[in-house]
Amino acid sequence: MLKLLSFSLVTQLVINGVLFGTMYGIAAIGLSLIFGTMRIMFLAQGTMIIFFAYLSFWAFRLFGVDPYLSLVIVIPICVFLGAALYQGLFRQAAAEEDKNISLLIAVGLMFFVEALMTVGWGGTPRAISTAYSTVAFRPMGLDFPLTRLLGLLMSILAAAVVVIFLKKTFIGMAVKAASEDIIATTLMGISPHRVNSVAFAIGIGLAGVAGVEVATVYSFDPFFGFNFVLNALISLALGGIGSVTGALLGGIMLGLLQSLSSFLVPGWSDAIAYVVFLLVLMGKPEGLLVRSVKKA
Amino acid sequence: MENNALVVKGVDVLYGDVQALWDVSLEVKQGTIVSLVGANGAGKSTLLKTISGINRAKKGEILFSGKSVTHLKPQDVVDIGISHVPEGRRLFASLTVLENLKLGAYPPRARAVFGESLTKAFDLFPVLKSRQNQKAGSLSGGEQQMLAIGRAMMSQPTILMLDEPSLGLSPILVKTMFDLVASLNKQGVTMLLVEQNVRQALKIANHAYVLKNGRIVMSGGGEELLADPEVQKAYIGERWRKK
Repeated sequence: MLKLLSFSLVTQLVINGVLFGTMYGIAAIGLSLIFGTMRIMFLAQGTMIIFFAYLSFWAFRLFGVDPYLSLVIVIPICVFLGAALYQGLFRQAAAEEDKNISLLIAVGLMFFVEALMTVGWGGTPRAISTAYSTVAFRPMGLDFPLTRLLGLLMSILAAAVVVIFLKKTFIGMAVKAASEDIIATTLMGISPHRVNSVAFAIGIGLAGVAGVEVATVYSFDPFFGFNFVLNALISLALGGIGSVTGALLGGIMLGLLQSLSSFLVPGWSDAIAYVVFLLVLMGKPEGLLVRSVKKA
Repeated sequence: MENNALVVKGVDVLYGDVQALWDVSLEVKQGTIVSLVGANGAGKSTLLKTISGINRAKKGEILFSGKSVTHLKPQDVVDIGISHVPEGRRLFASLTVLENLKLGAYPPRARAVFGESLTKAFDLFPVLKSRQNQKAGSLSGGEQQMLAIGRAMMSQPTILMLDEPSLGLSPILVKTMFDLVASLNKQGVTMLLVEQNVRQALKIANHAYVLKNGRIVMSGGGEELLADPEVQKAYIGERWRKK
């Protein structure tokens, strides 16, 4: 078997892993931000991603809108929808001490959107195939499909925009502060609803980006979302919660793990990913990439 | 009543079924230092948290400049000019000193004069200026307390509530901290001070209240309470005996 692991093959596996990993990564960034301010895992994240994948699919199928071009409208819609989801569904529950209520709302939302998509669009897997879907670069016997490269680029750009937003804007700083200490944040004059809805807006905005990536790279069906959010959760466990780059790197680590294991032990890659997930949670629950910050 | 910045009238506070404050009333006159002293668990922090809106009063009323603030949310209480430095400082450890100060100026009213407030904060605490790009979590205890007060001052408060500012500081820094409280007060900031360092807290106070098991049991001028044999025996004597 080792003979099979030629240089070009390993390179190919690594690159595939990174490409898929960044997609998990931006889903994980959304989870991390929402968890930071709300203290819940937004389990509907994956299903929202698939929902936006469908929107992008139908925009292409019905109106011929290029999926990448559709981002121009998809992202603003997602950001607005994210804030609206918070205000409509979570605002009341977020004020409660018991976070299980918010968590259950997220689970309910996940199943509702899943059911909606099944009824509306059926269970058959869909994929966008454009004129450039089969375009690929093939340097030195390697194979880089254009759509995956664009996906990678979008993920990295999206993550960079989020990092800059959190660092440079008042409300972005407030979101970071809230994930450290929500009470102290309110003492600064910052409304918890404000930071929660901003976290949701960013999280769902990222889901929009990931949705377009999924639509152009994978074939997907309504139930694919749950799988996706599980991968995002594992990414978070690997990278550690609370940092954007950590979440992105965690996603890349998971992508690599899955890509390599699916070649070495075909069929076992999910099982291996969950074992690593459990091991990390037991051994280093703060995440592999996190240095512990001294509490002020 | 005109010169009362803050009035607390007959406030009851409960944590679940446990009552923490019983019929607490106090007044803080504009421009003064009022100290609130008492043993651990007497309800001092609870009262500050109730004023700043983190806790809810079950009964009673809180007035700021004559207007009721009893039902305001914490973010709105800051906005009208009551700033609360909570127990344990609660800085944003992973953010820089400068970012912490920026967040202190979050209310639009304060943001408009951010540059001015920042200069003031840096004049007051030069060490914060030299460490502005350092993470708040990497500061020493004394520096963290300065940052906590600096951050609270960024919102341009009329009244500053300090919860145990001297906690965990070395004796020299404790003195610095009380000097600072006095000097901020001279600049026109009204102070409501919660302290376990009873002697110092009473010394600088214009007026003081003693809280015991959730009730105000004594009040009077700072020096007056300091001379009171009962206070001496219960709070100050005890401190000496401990040493």
